[in-house]
Amino acid sequence: MTRGLAGKHGADAGIREPKHPFAYFVSEPIKIDIWSDIACPWCYIGKRHLESGIASLGDGAPEVDITYHSYELSPDTPLDFEGSTVEYLADRKGMPVERVEQMLDHVTGVAAQAGLDYHFEKVAHTKTLKAHEVLHFAKSEGKQLELKERLLKAYFVEGGRVNRIDELVAYAAEVGLDADAARDALESGRYGDAVQADIAQAQAYGINGVPFFVIDGKYGISGAQPAEVFAQALTQVAGERDGAAA
Amino acid sequence: MSAPETTQATDAATPTPFAMIAGDPSAMVCEGDVCYIPGASAE
Repeated sequence: MTRGLAGKHGADAGIREPKHPFAYFVSEPIKIDIWSDIACPWCYIGKRHLESGIASLGDGAPEVDITYHSYELSPDTPLDFEGSTVEYLADRKGMPVERVEQMLDHVTGVAAQAGLDYHFEKVAHTKTLKAHEVLHFAKSEGKQLELKERLLKAYFVEGGRVNRIDELVAYAAEVGLDADAARDALESGRYGDAVQADIAQAQAYGINGVPFFVIDGKYGISGAQPAEVFAQALTQVAGERDGAAA
Repeated sequence: MSAPETTQATDAATPTPFAMIAGDPSAMVCEGDVCYIPGASAE
């Protein structure tokens, strides 16, 4: 879900020095910047928790402007790993198969509590760089949140291949993006620099793991925190803004 | 509703320009191929 996706951003987007008393009611949405990957089970869970936290505030929820930033958890992932998730983790990390299965069962259970129907037996491990590129294209078209949700669902619920241009174009079209434009964006690779810029920004911030949330550029939240943590953070930021405007 | 607990990010190894909200210490993060509770065993 999204509230108040503002078209204007930056220091001059809101009314900082109101000349009319009612102008205090007009302000920028609270910016939420999220670094995450598609191949990140806790990023999808964290996304749901954030959405639940915002929803829990009801009609009093502040408007928010959510932007997803690219983070490639495992850049050396093969483009097409043909084995299962269990095989992938057991082979790569040297973890006992039983331990991997326990781990995946646990994640699946937590995901279910968040309303997500994970199927690790279907997951097609892949490099996610192209998925990040199409998310940047979607951002330029105002459809990033819709496509982020679609790609996460494809990866964890449906076993979709989120590295292949044909399939990424199909997902983009499903959320209302122009298929030809999406294909052109992917084949040209013109959003590659934007993806790398996001990754570099994460490094500059010292972000080592995802999901990672930055609220209004002031507060950092690491991990798939419970919904109430997000609700409290948003309430605090909104209160601070009210205090600053008073 | 109480304000979330925050910690100023002053550690030179984590040069975040924002205050960290501690939240639930058992919240999972993913790094590389594994996900874990910071400070606990890998998951």
